[in-house]
Amino acid sequence: MRGLSRRIEGRSAMQRADEIGKRAEYLAFTLGQEAYAIEIGNIVEILKPLPITEVPRADPDVVGVMSVRGRLVAVLDLKRRFRLTRTFTMDRKSRILLVDAATEEIGLLVDEVLQVYRLSEAEIEPPTVLGTEQAPHVVGIGRPVGGQVLMLLDLAPLFSE
Amino acid sequence: MAEHSGGGRGESAGDKAREEFFSEAQEIVDGLSRDLLALDDVCRRGGSDAELVNDVFRAVHTLKGLSGLFGAAMMSGLSHELENLLDDLRLGRIELTPQVLDLLFQSVELYGSILTAAKGDGPEPAAEVKALLAALGQVAQQRGGGGGSVIAQYELDPGLLGVLTEYEEHRLRTNLQAGLSLYRMRVQFQLATIDSALDDLKAKTRPHGEIITFLPTGEGGDAESVELEILVASREGLSVLGAAVAGPNVTIEEVRRRDAAPPLKESMRPPRPTMSEMPPPLPSFAPPAAMGTGIPEAIETDDYTEGTRTSRPPPGGSQTGIPAAAHSLQPPLFPPSQPPGGPQHGPREQQQRELTLRSVTQTVRVDIRKLDHLMNIVGELAIVRSAVSRLTERVRLDAEMRELATSLTRLHRSFDRHLAQMQNGILEVRMVPLGQVFDKLARIVRQISREHDKQVNLVVTGAETEIDKLIVEELSDPLMHMIRNAIDHGIEDRDERMRVQKPAVGTIALNAFQKGNHVVIEVEDDGKGMDPAAILAAAIKRGLVTEAEAREMSTKDVLALAFQPGFTTRDEATSLSGRGVGMDIVQTNIAKLGGVVDITSDVGIGTKMTITLPITLAIISVLIVEVAGRTFCMPLASVEEAIVFEESMVRTFEGREVMTQRGATLPLARLGKVFQLEGHRAGVWFNEDAKTPVPPPVRSTRPKSYVVIATVADRRVGFVVDRLVGQQDIVIKALGRSLKKVRGFAGATELGDQRVGLVLDAAALIAEVLAGEGGRQQPVGMSGEVVPRRNGERALLGPGERGDNIGGRGGGGAPPRGGFS
Repeated sequence: MRGLSRRIEGRSAMQRADEIGKRAEYLAFTLGQEAYAIEIGNIVEILKPLPITEVPRADPDVVGVMSVRGRLVAVLDLKRRFRLTRTFTMDRKSRILLVDAATEEIGLLVDEVLQVYRLSEAEIEPPTVLGTEQAPHVVGIGRPVGGQVLMLLDLAPLFSE
Repeated sequence: MAEHSGGGRGESAGDKAREEFFSEAQEIVDGLSRDLLALDDVCRRGGSDAELVNDVFRAVHTLKGLSGLFGAAMMSGLSHELENLLDDLRLGRIELTPQVLDLLFQSVELYGSILTAAKGDGPEPAAEVKALLAALGQVAQQRGGGGGSVIAQYELDPGLLGVLTEYEEHRLRTNLQAGLSLYRMRVQFQLATIDSALDDLKAKTRPHGEIITFLPTGEGGDAESVELEILVASREGLSVLGAAVAGPNVTIEEVRRRDAAPPLKESMRPPRPTMSEMPPPLPSFAPPAAMGTGIPEAIETDDYTEGTRTSRPPPGGSQTGIPAAAHSLQPPLFPPSQPPGGPQHGPREQQQRELTLRSVTQTVRVDIRKLDHLMNIVGELAIVRSAVSRLTERVRLDAEMRELATSLTRLHRSFDRHLAQMQNGILEVRMVPLGQVFDKLARIVRQISREHDKQVNLVVTGAETEIDKLIVEELSDPLMHMIRNAIDHGIEDRDERMRVQKPAVGTIALNAFQKGNHVVIEVEDDGKGMDPAAILAAAIKRGLVTEAEAREMSTKDVLALAFQPGFTTRDEATSLSGRGVGMDIVQTNIAKLGGVVDITSDVGIGTKMTITLPITLAIISVLIVEVAGRTFCMPLASVEEAIVFEESMVRTFEGREVMTQRGATLPLARLGKVFQLEGHRAGVWFNEDAKTPVPPPVRSTRPKSYVVIATVADRRVGFVVDRLVGQQDIVIKALGRSLKKVRGFAGATELGDQRVGLVLDAAALIAEVLAGEGGRQQPVGMSGEVVPRRNGERALLGPGERGDNIGGRGGGGAPPRGGFS
């Protein structure tokens, strides 16, 4: 996370000036064809895929467990959790987002990490625009200028089960 | 156990000091508890031990000081009152009765709750403290007199008696009442060497008797030397003691008893006023008013262990009466006003200080998380070691580098050895004797047996058996429940015991011993035993089993019902147990530690519960096995042996696979089937080349399989695996919260190459297989059943367990040894 924020710090002065405005930073990534984003404060680290050991009898959306510098981290397949695809894939662009869950760190397997967006309040629509029946983890739709449409995720409902 | 980063959290100095305070206070309270138990023991045998009372007094005094420093008002108030009580005790003003001991034990409990409250983990026991303080006050009013007439029978110089501290006088009286002889030594000391010379003399005297006091005589000394008069109480004759202390400047004589004191003379000597005649004891904060009555103040050392403390002067007037009356009978050896020189308390103080310094410097308190952190580093080093080992092998293959390879191998071996030593060293530091938790239990036994009016004797063996600190912490609750149960349900009341011709006092044995990589703890009582018929009846009444099921159950299964949630044979709960919670918690807690609980019981003879636990949770040796391309670690502690498997060995018995091994039936479980691995997902997703992972090839034709025979307690299951990879010491880590509910795994570890290996929970898997997945607890499987449940499977459990169905008969012969499933 520190590396990431340093990179953000290094961006242009104009962009830095933007920070004075009321903006939140989101990390955008893809799951299949769809783009999602998580508030950057939740993310501890972005990892290239490590060997992940399958855990028999675990929930189907658990890819397995990996070791991050000696710590055991369970890895969730977000695509499976969101029922986007039945098959699990991992390739050169795949990344594991290490996030802070309630009491532990959890890895989220995503297809590709895009970039960090700063979204002002005006750039965020409420989830209700997609209809009234939205999953609790979708907290809004991000529409950054010149960017694609992002589903903004809240992690807490994902781990509360 | 979860991994903790080594102490990155910055604690303020204040927090740290508070932490220190808590742990130090806790340590003192633990010590206090031990001393009290010892005292209780001595007391029950009708004796007394002044040194123990002193130890207790010192502990409370230190607690008072500590709590004062940290502003723990409740604790310091309690300590203050206790200190007064203990002071009365050691001065013999009150007797050490079971009631007084009860109060002292209560205070230990209260210290515990006060500390818990101070840490913010519980409510302050304000009401209890108040009640105890009131009770202490009542005891204080019962002070009786010690009577000084014994002392009066000896030809002691009243001047000397006049300057004895109250404690010294008490010791003198006690010793004389016990019939010991009294000796007076006069010893010349060189001022330059008096400290060491005096210590020398003390050491020589100690085996033979007790030094009551030593005072300068004011005679025979010059500028460089001083003569001390030393009073010694001893059982031995003058010649023995004299030989022990013989030296150029030593003279020794016996202080004779006055010939049977004529009553007239006695009446002329006003007897020492007894306590009851004395004015009520001064409140402890009274200024030391009695100090100035001709008694040299220097005698009042601030050494609270031996001298009278200045905060609590001897009750007024007690010391002025005797000298005044006695002066006329015997000329004083030295005028009481003679200021004694400083030396007599110098050595004492010094000794005291040395003692405390030593105890402080030799132990260090370490947060267990720091040890976990070190252990993780060792684990990482072990991984480095295997990488170096591989490199060494590669170098060895190169003919030109042979010499280098040899040196490298030597270095590697040395590294290996030292790493192993380091690992053992850290493990050793984590180990604490079980005595820590046993001491607590002894207190509980005492308390419960008194509450319940049953006399119970706790016999502890193996308190020195060592086990991982974390395990000890988790053990006290389960053990407490077991002991409560033993007293409440096991031990009969006195009349009943007399009727069945058992000793009136019940016995609970707490035995611990090491057995391989396990520690076994037994809780055994000589009570009425568990009646399988009664248990079954209660279980049916509470709907835990149906009558049909009951008919199928072996005695062992029936006893295991006691571990079911909600089970109780009582219709009404007592304050002790019988609420139906407890034994299931025992099993759950022990299982969490990777252990198992077994019950055996004989009606009328007693019940024995056996806990089998791993020695440590940190590092374990495992057998690495491969099943369907996946790697698993089986704790070696649970592996009995591994044999080559042939399909022809398998017999099916009511749909379950078994084999015969060494004449015994061994239930089999194919690990691949247990975990639903065949044709499922790949085991490890390797992604070093960042390509779509290829599942490891699943061998369709296995050239050879193996049976790993796992045992926990006396339950055995053979697990069929594809390959034995090898043996390794691993640092076991807990799976995170999100994977906790997955059954069958004790944790995971890093195997090298960044690969994680899952560590099997042998106890859980065995239980699962033997229960045929039980029906009571569905496994959190990915789908479907693991093994179908069949009726009559119990008959498979093994030899000696067959045909023991008591359900229908309700009788129950001798129950088999062993566990439950």
